[in-house]
Amino acid sequence: MKDIGIVSKFTFMEMIRRKSFIVSTIIIMLLIIIGFNVPNIINMVSKESNISESSKILISDQENVFEGKLDALDTKELGYSLKIKDSSFAQIKKEIESSKIAAGIIIEKEDNEITFRYVVNDTMAMMPQDLEKELESLYTNLQIEKLELNSDEIKMLTPTFNTKVEQTATIKGNILVITLLSIVLFYAIYFCAYQVSSSITTEKTSKIMETLVTSTSPRNIVLGKTIGIGLGGLMQMLILVLTAILSAKLFLNSEMLKMVLTSTQVSPLNIFLIIVFFILGYYLFALIYALCGSTVSKPEDIQAANMPVAIITIAGFYLSELIISTPVGPLTTFATLCPFSSPFAMPSRIMMGLATGKEVLISLIILIVAIFLVAHIAIKIYSNAILNYGSRMTIKDLIKMYKAK
Amino acid sequence: MSLVLENVSKKFGNKIAVKNLSLTLDKPGVYGLLGTNGAGKTTTIRMLLGILKKDEGSITWNNKEVERKAVNFGYLPEERGVYPKTVIRRQLLYFAILKGMKKKAAEKAIIHWAKILKVSEYLDMPAEKLSKGNQQKIQFMSAIIHDPQLIVLDEPFSGLDPVNTEIIKNVIIDLVKKGKYIIMSAHQMVTIEEFCSDILILNKGKTVLQGNLKEIKNTYKANRVEIDVNQDIKKIIKELNLEIEIEKNNQYKIKIDDEKKAYKLLERVVKENIAVTKFEIEKPTLNDIFIEKVGE
Repeated sequence: MKDIGIVSKFTFMEMIRRKSFIVSTIIIMLLIIIGFNVPNIINMVSKESNISESSKILISDQENVFEGKLDALDTKELGYSLKIKDSSFAQIKKEIESSKIAAGIIIEKEDNEITFRYVVNDTMAMMPQDLEKELESLYTNLQIEKLELNSDEIKMLTPTFNTKVEQTATIKGNILVITLLSIVLFYAIYFCAYQVSSSITTEKTSKIMETLVTSTSPRNIVLGKTIGIGLGGLMQMLILVLTAILSAKLFLNSEMLKMVLTSTQVSPLNIFLIIVFFILGYYLFALIYALCGSTVSKPEDIQAANMPVAIITIAGFYLSELIISTPVGPLTTFATLCPFSSPFAMPSRIMMGLATGKEVLISLIILIVAIFLVAHIAIKIYSNAILNYGSRMTIKDLIKMYKAK
Repeated sequence: MSLVLENVSKKFGNKIAVKNLSLTLDKPGVYGLLGTNGAGKTTTIRMLLGILKKDEGSITWNNKEVERKAVNFGYLPEERGVYPKTVIRRQLLYFAILKGMKKKAAEKAIIHWAKILKVSEYLDMPAEKLSKGNQQKIQFMSAIIHDPQLIVLDEPFSGLDPVNTEIIKNVIIDLVKKGKYIIMSAHQMVTIEEFCSDILILNKGKTVLQGNLKEIKNTYKANRVEIDVNQDIKKIIKELNLEIEIEKNNQYKIKIDDEKKAYKLLERVVKENIAVTKFEIEKPTLNDIFIEKVGE
């Protein structure tokens, strides 16, 4: 037990001292900070574009489709400076080129079809939607006025249509936040577990294993190493979560923050369960990766050895993504019970408010049993494989090693 | 204190790695474990260190069966290895604490041994910045830092320059003086002859020769005479039907199957008034014995 502590402390300290760990943490922290500033950046950019648009949009109605009522638009607070003037395409083009206006709209009518020709310099530009809507509603109102209807009749003619999707299962959380959570969990578990494999291969290829294995038992090395790297990963996660919380408080406006918090099922129990699933999920995959790492002698073989586990991990993750869109069904039940997908699937289900206590408990029990089973196999094979420096081992070799004394 | 291996055997699949190996180390000193590549030396070492389970036989240290948990021997593996990116002091401390040392005692021991092995200036550098020889000294240090009673040294001098070889040799001599039990495996027979009182030669897992090195040598007849003279004596050698093994600047190594032939050669040379500066009848070297026992 003492040796597990020594190995995990050394592994943890070595991990957090590594430049790659420090640099990747800083980069992700910066990305988070930038991410939380996206609304502010968009605001700034859109403000800038408003200013440029307010430098004038010319509307030309040579065919008199709006019957000279276009002035009504000017009074609306659209944020654009509008100039109503009958002009040809060539005239508008000239005005744009001399920067007198930012864009021009030519209104044309043929039979019952009205076309807005939006003339602009920028190839990527789209006609502002609010302006388009205003023009449409102005035209509709003009036509309704001609019918001499009272206000109630007008209201009946132009009702507001809404669409609301309601599923048989009631989902409490915000789907976007839940998807984001399962992605974060997947990457955290995957990358931490992967490091166990590369750390063991490094020890094997640098031949330090011979010394290490005479200093403590393989069981202590595997457990100590997985705990050490897990703690490093957990620390990185905590730093990133703290950065996210701080960034949210600093950079998001209070309304947006309230919206995120109320749409997420953030309760202490949920957070605790998510951390439990993260730790157990990490442990399951870390032990499998430890086994993979011990079977190779050359760093170039590590990719090939890890491939099957990577496929299982990714399959588990996609299965969990599937249940977000289909919260009820046999596949969902399988995803929440299968130990390879439950670490990603169950936290999503908990956040969606769909997981019952019984489901969580069964999922946890299966996951823990799987960890013990994998630990037993991994430690056994690891003990025999670490001192083997031949070519990469086959499944047959691994079975032999498992059966060996 | 004693290390006793009795009829120890190990198989890998159908291949015999070690068969019925027995050896006893009951007093401080260096025991030589010899053999060609793949003879079973590393398997034997791994079994006596408790990191590989034997199929048959018993291995005891102080009358107690050797188990991985209880083993606290020192070990310098043939495959040298250090954590390339980790600072030397930290990795030495890690191994010392794993071997049961307290942190303060380990720190003190690191400074003490670094001074003796002349690596003090490298203690705060990552291992990858050190030369191979210095990395090897660091590993030697981690094998002895916890002051073990039994030390296993697998090829301790391979890859070392003469200066560093001398440093390690002196440490090994000191360790024996302090009453340590050392098992040494080496390919350089000169080294084994220099240090070991007892040896065991393995060939394809089987013990082909074992015992006290002096006694073993005494069972062999002289097979070589070394003679240094001041002029060419090839003619005389030819007349006596002897075979020159090496000849350089009138220094001859001549094969003999009987000591009398050596004296006859000396007699002839003296008779011819040739000045003799060296005359030595030699018993087979360990190298000769080794090749005789394991050579195909």
